[in-house]
Amino acid sequence: MPAIGASRLPVFCASARPGRIFLAVYYIFMNSIRVIPRLDVKGPNVIKGVHLECLRIVGDPEELATRYYHEGADELIYMDIVASLYGRNNLLDILEKASENIFIPLTAGGGIRSLEDIKRMLRAGADKVAINTHAVRNPGFITQAAQAFGAQCIVGSIEAKRISDNRWEAYTDNGRVETGLDAVAWAKELVQLGAGELLVTSIDQEGTTKGYDTDLIKQIAPHVSAPVIACGGAGKSADLAAAVLVGRADAVAAAHIFHYKKYTIPEVKQALQEEGIPVRIPVSAKTA
Amino acid sequence: MKKKILIIDYGFGNLFGLQKALTHAGANAGISENPCDMQSADALVLPGVGAFGGGMAEMKKRGFKQPILDQVAAGKPLLGICLGMQFLFEKSYEFGEHEGLGILEGEVKKIPVTAGSQCKIPHIGWNALLAPGKGGVFASKLLAGIKPHSQTYFVHSYAGYPSRTDDIQANTCYYDSVFPAVVARKNAFGVQFHPEKSGETGITLLRNFLSLS
Amino acid sequence: MSDRTPQYGLPRQVAFCTKCVIPNTRPTASNEYTHHKARGHDYIQFDKEGVCSACRFCDAKFDGTIDWKKREQELLELLDKHRSKDGSYDCLVPGSGGKDSIYASHILKDKYGMHPLTVTWAPHLYTDIGWKNFQNWAHIAGHDNYLFTPNGEVHRLLTRNAFLNLLHPFQPFILGQKTFAIKMAARFGISLVFYGPSPGENGSNMPIGQREYVLKGAEQKNHESKGYRLDYVDNTADYNAIYLGGKKVADYLQEGLSEGDLAPYLPLDPRLAREQNLSFHFLGYYLRWVPQECYYYAVDHAGFEANPMRSEGTYTKYSSLDDRTDGFFYYTTYIKFGYGRATQDAAQEIRHRHINREEGVALVNRFDGEFPKKYFKEFLEYIDVTEDKFWETINAFRDPLLWKQENKEWQLRYKVH
Repeated sequence: MPAIGASRLPVFCASARPGRIFLAVYYIFMNSIRVIPRLDVKGPNVIKGVHLECLRIVGDPEELATRYYHEGADELIYMDIVASLYGRNNLLDILEKASENIFIPLTAGGGIRSLEDIKRMLRAGADKVAINTHAVRNPGFITQAAQAFGAQCIVGSIEAKRISDNRWEAYTDNGRVETGLDAVAWAKELVQLGAGELLVTSIDQEGTTKGYDTDLIKQIAPHVSAPVIACGGAGKSADLAAAVLVGRADAVAAAHIFHYKKYTIPEVKQALQEEGIPVRIPVSAKTA
Repeated sequence: MKKKILIIDYGFGNLFGLQKALTHAGANAGISENPCDMQSADALVLPGVGAFGGGMAEMKKRGFKQPILDQVAAGKPLLGICLGMQFLFEKSYEFGEHEGLGILEGEVKKIPVTAGSQCKIPHIGWNALLAPGKGGVFASKLLAGIKPHSQTYFVHSYAGYPSRTDDIQANTCYYDSVFPAVVARKNAFGVQFHPEKSGETGITLLRNFLSLS
Repeated sequence: MSDRTPQYGLPRQVAFCTKCVIPNTRPTASNEYTHHKARGHDYIQFDKEGVCSACRFCDAKFDGTIDWKKREQELLELLDKHRSKDGSYDCLVPGSGGKDSIYASHILKDKYGMHPLTVTWAPHLYTDIGWKNFQNWAHIAGHDNYLFTPNGEVHRLLTRNAFLNLLHPFQPFILGQKTFAIKMAARFGISLVFYGPSPGENGSNMPIGQREYVLKGAEQKNHESKGYRLDYVDNTADYNAIYLGGKKVADYLQEGLSEGDLAPYLPLDPRLAREQNLSFHFLGYYLRWVPQECYYYAVDHAGFEANPMRSEGTYTKYSSLDDRTDGFFYYTTYIKFGYGRATQDAAQEIRHRHINREEGVALVNRFDGEFPKKYFKEFLEYIDVTEDKFWETINAFRDPLLWKQENKEWQLRYKVH
């Protein structure tokens, strides 16, 4: 069995289906690993780059989000990938439309620079906001935002590039500008500053379908008190399992495999379940 | 005739997603900062995200506290969500000691974390609703049509514990801790999770609430 | 309007394309062998609607003007004539192992069954990412490659002269690179050479129907554009008529360099080229060229990696990554012609419908003209010029038509909007 969870004897609560008692107990004492499709947005389109570069259009935000919701996505992440670069914000319409019919948590990121920006995103339908570039420029902003809106609303977003065997550098502006910051140390600091969750994206892996940077995730997830969402590199369902079992991620985000229809969400969740990883299978999920 | 649901706006919480979910569930859902508007509503929803002390202070400041107690005493259904559920209790120990609405007997305490466990606080994510008794089913009408082990979305660090176990309609289990996920007493209901963010399970719960109104 | 006399034959009235962000000060290619101090250029043409020739060219790629099926058919016929049956190289692809050359060589091999030889003229100073991508071109995409590294002492001297005399430090590289490809084709007896996109896509005023470079002096007397031919000289032995880095070859020889030192830069005798029937086609004539799609292709087939951070002077990470001195090519362009790397990237991305003009303008105003400080020291050492001399030269080349000085700060007079 994979070695996750507490080292204590599991508390037996409620009924478990006979024959699967151990797994059911396992499921019961920690909550499910979240599977989160990530939509990189430019203007009205969802795009998919590689190494956070280039702008191939892969779909319509509303269409993709709706499909993922009905397939059983646990959350959605919308990233406006040009907001910091162009100095503008553009997700409000997309969020408003999404929240009419999609009733799972929505995280919105890209170019968030002020409390007013956060307020606008939340009003439009976001539940959480992801902040990267501005947090690097002004770390106090994270604390301000957490105090104003609650830590659970503030996701610290890190774009990490490997610079040597065991070191990564943090980048901003959609993986474009070096910061000189040690990404792992910065991640921990974001939690200290008040972020209630971390989104950790590997620039090296993202878009390549070669698997997550589990080394990176593992340096962060077990060492912070906030949940960590692993992002960047998913190509096979085994990759998502590795992010959880090796990287110790609390949630896995993916884009390529969903936008290019390599896997459906139920297929991914089934594969995770087979690895002993608890996932949520909603009653109304359309199976493949 | 659509049920008229009033979402209480005391400055805390993301109300717009909630309004859309209630609308989707079939309500005529409105948001109001004015306690007087509660009178004409069929049912009330008390949302909340943030800290207990600050939330209660705002509620009092905006003149909601007594009117809510009056409406509930008069039989109007009230659904407290997340922090809103915690307000139903007598007191909370979040950042000090704060008085709640006292509609339910019991207290709000931090989710206990065993030293050395991997348990992360806040409790964020999907978790299963568990039937409290030995019967293995949900008795509450609020949970009609929802099977035990259905998952809903939680985001919280504190949990409300009713003194009367009869008030507990569903639990959830997070690492070593078991705490209530759904509480109810007569016409006052509380859910620790966010039904407006819990997919179709959440929508079902909201529909149930409407039918109770 | 200004009374100042423009240098380099700059247009008196600076204007920006109404579709992309390129100004009318963008020079077209010219014969570098005759390039000596401060001569005029031809510039990109704007039509009556103020749209540049590059935009019109690229529009034709998308709006149905070009029948791509027919073009591919032409390619198939061309390739059928050249495809080798005995394992020999049947086409030559010059390149650096960047996204464009990876795409060209790999698609010719993989989709069209050709056996390309790739040839590379080394960048002045390899970047780590450039070397990695170059190696992967051979290792992962699977090609044979000849890498030519010119005598560094000579190359540095020529580059220095080109910087000081012409503010065009990349001139020797460009000359060497082009002539190297021609000479390798001749040496290996490969008569089919493929370049990437047509220069018309970037503003050389080339017509969309032109599929290849021709050698000057051939039958094309009434050709529509001057860019149709490869850099060329009439008499490869007349060392008083050939300039490298803005200085006569004859002068170099007098000062102690040998013909052997300069041979890599001198053009091939055109008769040899004609005897061997060398032809230089634009693969972009036959296959619709979209630079970002070349990037994705290179990622998929060669493990191509983008630059870790944005290149200096622009916002992109996927283009022109292999030379540490690259920033100075773009910066000197910015000084002489008033537009930089961000303008070029944004213009290309607008033309290929990835971004709109408003977005391009925002990017240009944010990044254009950024000084490439990362490798400044290395560049100065490379060309053996002091920092003072560097700025002295830079400032001497600022055309008063484009530049003004306010409180000792230099500013461009014109900004895209």
